[in-house]
Amino acid sequence: MEPHAARVLVADDEDDIRGLVCLAVRRAGGTVVAEAADGPTALDAARSTVPDLAVLDVSMPGATGLEVCTTLRAEAATAGVRVLLLSAGASEEDVARGLASGADSYLAKPFAVAGLVARIRELTTGGTA
Amino acid sequence: MTTVEETPAALGEVDLLRAEVARLTAERDALRADMDRRDGELETAGRMLAARAQTMTSVIDAVTEQSIIGTDLDGVVRVWNPGAEKLLGLPRAEVVRRRLITDFHLAEELAAEGGGLHALVRLAQAEGRDVRDWTYVTAGGEERTVSVAVTPRSDDSGEHAGWNFVGTDMTEVRASERLKDQFVSLISHELRTPLSSILGYLELVLDDPDQPLTEEQRSYLGTVERNAQRLLRLVGDLLFTAQVEAGRFTLQPEDVDLAAVLRAAEENARVAAAAGDVRLDLDLPAADVVVAGDPVRLGQACDNLVSNAVKFTPAGGRVTLSLRAGWQAADGAFTEQPCPGGAPVARISVSDTGYGIPAAELDQLFTRFFRASTAKRNAVKGVGLGLSITKAITTAHGGSLDVVSAEGRGTTFTLTLPIPR
Repeated sequence: MEPHAARVLVADDEDDIRGLVCLAVRRAGGTVVAEAADGPTALDAARSTVPDLAVLDVSMPGATGLEVCTTLRAEAATAGVRVLLLSAGASEEDVARGLASGADSYLAKPFAVAGLVARIRELTTGGTA
Repeated sequence: MTTVEETPAALGEVDLLRAEVARLTAERDALRADMDRRDGELETAGRMLAARAQTMTSVIDAVTEQSIIGTDLDGVVRVWNPGAEKLLGLPRAEVVRRRLITDFHLAEELAAEGGGLHALVRLAQAEGRDVRDWTYVTAGGEERTVSVAVTPRSDDSGEHAGWNFVGTDMTEVRASERLKDQFVSLISHELRTPLSSILGYLELVLDDPDQPLTEEQRSYLGTVERNAQRLLRLVGDLLFTAQVEAGRFTLQPEDVDLAAVLRAAEENARVAAAAGDVRLDLDLPAADVVVAGDPVRLGQACDNLVSNAVKFTPAGGRVTLSLRAGWQAADGAFTEQPCPGGAPVARISVSDTGYGIPAAELDQLFTRFFRASTAKRNAVKGVGLGLSITKAITTAHGGSLDVVSAEGRGTTFTLTLPIPR
């Protein structure tokens, strides 16, 4: 067991999807430490409270999930944050671009909630779940 | 002055000389006549040539919507038609013998292909002809996307003398293609987002152990889910079709066990087949049949064929999925034994005892949004994307998709894929 519930940042500009992701985080045993509806807010939130995992939508206003991910990786304080990208684009190109930005994992929308829970659990327990 | 002695011998010599002079005179006259005749012929030929050149020039000058540019071997412009004047904004007099064809190309684009004239003519030199998009830069600095056909030009003795560049301005066409592509991507994204919410929250309701649903509620929500999934497939099909159209569909091949693909297709169609009282048979070989391909796309192709077969077969009918490894001869004939000159192939066939497709419609079967009259007549649901997608997937795998059908008796689709040696 982890010593503390994993701290997760959830960023998606769609309220309904964000609600679904937050629920999946809780089902995976994590805590949502911040929610964001755009890229810059997500970055600010990650800088002020460094999470264990950031679940980022790819197409967000202000900065895309890919840009947020690249910035997180570039800054020392957040370089170690694990990143799960969610995207409505599911082509191989999209996945390759996502992973090239430094993301640990990529999930295409629409996702099964059970699948998202499993993925979050994997990423917050270092793959030992 | 010397006198000729009038001896009999000298007299004979004079006659001989006179005869020689007469012969030479006659010869000269004949030559002169011949020359006059040839002069006339030359003049006629010259007039014909001038007329022919005039015809060629007037034809080239009449082309105002395509640029026709001819160069010598060094790329110096020698021919510049009104279409080139219109497209590139410079009159013939300012270009011919004074400018290079490469002056009108985007330098970066040429550099990316190795630079200079060579970049432009490399493929035409190797293959005799090359057609592709290049960016022309007009006199005013504007960039135009032009589909350029490059061919070598030879002189009257058949020697390679230069190059022809025939261009069609595609700027607007390409822009509208890009717009369509962006539109389809945008729409599919915009449709997928609400579908994600619908499916996600449905899953929460359907799988909540604390608040179990009644059978009736479960059945209603199951209908909602099935239709949301259907919408999602449609969006995926539209997006995929757009990618194929834009030439952006690429494969990441891996080893695919076709028996597994067919077993999955059979399983996916089982519910619909049972509902329609259609028998579903699977005929697989004992040995594995492995091809190089994309398992998801091949699965999609087989699913399309099987679900079509089930949809187009009335109650009491039969659909048979079969798989064989064998050899395809040069004439396309399939044998299960190796044949000389044959290539190893895998052959998937999906046969039904359904409505069939009228012979006159078979040609259009793989066209997007085409629906057979038997589909409309029997109220078979669909939008007409499945077979065009299946065909695109097959082609991308280097395979072929064939159909044999008899109206009222049934249809067999055969998907042939190369097996790597």
